Amino acid sequence: MGERGTSHSVTVEVNGEKVSRIVAARQLLVHFLRDTLGLTGTHIGCDTGNCGACSVIVDGKLVKSCMILAPQVDGSTIETVESLAQDGALSPLQESFHEHHGLQCGYCTPGMLMSATYLLRQNPEPTDEEIRRGIRGNVCRCTGYVNIVEAIREASRGQATGRRSAHAAAGEEV
Amino acid sequence: MLLEQVEYVRPETVGDALEILASDDGAAPLAGGQSLVNVLKNRVASVDVLVDISRLAELSSIARTADGGLSIGACVTYDALDRSPEVRASHWILGDVAGHIEDQQIRNKGTIGGNCCLSDPTNNLPPILVALGAVMELRSRSGERSVPAADFFKGYFATALEPGELLVSITVPPMPEHSGAGYASLAVGADAKALVRAAARVTLDEGGTTIAESCLVLARVAHVPVRDAEAEARLSGADATEEAVRAACAGVADGMQPIADVHGSSEYRRQMAKVMARRAVVQAIAAARGSRNGSTAGGK
Ligand SMILES: Cc1cc2nc3c(=O)[nH]c(=O)nc-3n(C[C@H](O)[C@H](O)[C@H](O)COP(=O)(O)OP(=O)(O)OC[C@H]3O[C@@H](n4cnc5c(N)ncnc54)[C@H](O)[C@@H]3O)c2cc1C
Ligand code: FES
Ligand code: FES
Repeated sequence: MGERGTSHSVTVEVNGEKVSRIVAARQLLVHFLRDTLGLTGTHIGCDTGNCGACSVIVDGKLVKSCMILAPQVDGSTIETVESLAQDGALSPLQESFHEHHGLQCGYCTPGMLMSATYLLRQNPEPTDEEIRRGIRGNVCRCTGYVNIVEAIREASRGQATGRRSAHAAAGEEV
Repeated sequence: MLLEQVEYVRPETVGDALEILASDDGAAPLAGGQSLVNVLKNRVASVDVLVDISRLAELSSIARTADGGLSIGACVTYDALDRSPEVRASHWILGDVAGHIEDQQIRNKGTIGGNCCLSDPTNNLPPILVALGAVMELRSRSGERSVPAADFFKGYFATALEPGELLVSITVPPMPEHSGAGYASLAVGADAKALVRAAARVTLDEGGTTIAESCLVLARVAHVPVRDAEAEARLSGADATEEAVRAACAGVADGMQPIADVHGSSEYRRQMAKVMARRAVVQAIAAARGSRNGSTAGGK
């Protein structure tokens, strides 16, 4: 049986990097990511499982990191929004959010991107209805969702041109 | 949010989990955590030790029973139910109801056992499990017992579980021949919480023209799913047509005193219960006639 206690040793692979920490049993995964590991790309909004800003992928499953305790993920592989861009180049999905104006304040964006990443893995060519269901757990107070759906749809069709990422990779102003 | 100090343990067997639950009053099983973590944040219940049962293999499988029914482990997630070919093959509707709970994140974590053990009257699975005649398999350090779903839900956040007892699996009997199930919800927005729900299972006669037997369950009318025995009696022997079902469902919830809250008055719920009941029964008839047992077309 695993140890019983108020603190636990947790070893996880986060965005390809193995890390071990001692955590309090009461620590939420979102705080483990943000405060303990300094990965502040994952946002915390409602802290009640309603807004989806804290969404990350754990062992291939999309989850809300404010609804999980840190010791529960021991041994898991975690992907956060920081895993999407490679060497400073935005992923096609991020590129598409940029091109289609899929964000305004950006608060919901990390969660939206992770939900969309999960959706496109499960279903590479979703209908608009499937996109809407895929981001149902993610609240956006700014955009009205239309541009977010468009960004995901266009990313799924490989429509993002990748212009910005090419410039960014070359270190140019865009 | 900072939770109150709490201990956490992840036992390797169901037996170990039962041992801790039996020996510590303040111990609570942690399944999907999609309600319990919020309960801890709100400090509405005090838990000393969280017993993480979510990774126990014994609680995470879906198996076919000898009679063609299903045995579903308590920690099977909504997403696993939704995607299970076994569930879809024999009890299509159960996968469909699970696949329309709230959102993908919650479906990836929330479990059928947690959904039942919480006994939140707004939860989606209790009414359909009652309609399908499911049986809850409970285990404690001192033994096992089986409780029909209809007797398991005792009240607002209350179940038949005794202290130290774990729900280990849910047995769903096979669908009889010529039968089907339906599920209808009055909700604002797709996959949202509902004001009123109805779940129905009907068996038609051989010719498929008359209702031989039915089970009609209403949810959010009382704090637990309730069968409307009077409506069931009117449905037996009725023609399997929309008009006959409409007539039989006109008196649904008439003998009941539906709950009233900010979402709807008692009278509004009564009227809507009739509509949801009719839709659920009509769906169940269509499913009984089709190849799919338990298809649904309406809101979840
Ligand atoms: C934003 C939000 C919206 C939601 N909307 C809906 C909705 O529309 N419909 C719906 O149905 N649900 C909804 N839920 C609730 C969700 O479905 C929960 O998953 C469910 O209520 C509890 O299941 P769980 O596996 O997460 O259990 P947990 O939260 O881990 O546990 C719930 C309770 O049951 C006990 N328990 C769990 N498993 C067992 C067991 N095997 N034996 C004995 N006791 C056990 C726990 O000790 C605890 O008291 C929502 C949740 C959130 C956060
Ligand atoms: S912060 Fe986790 S769902 Fe809102
Ligand atoms: S862009 Fe502001 S909340 Fe979505």
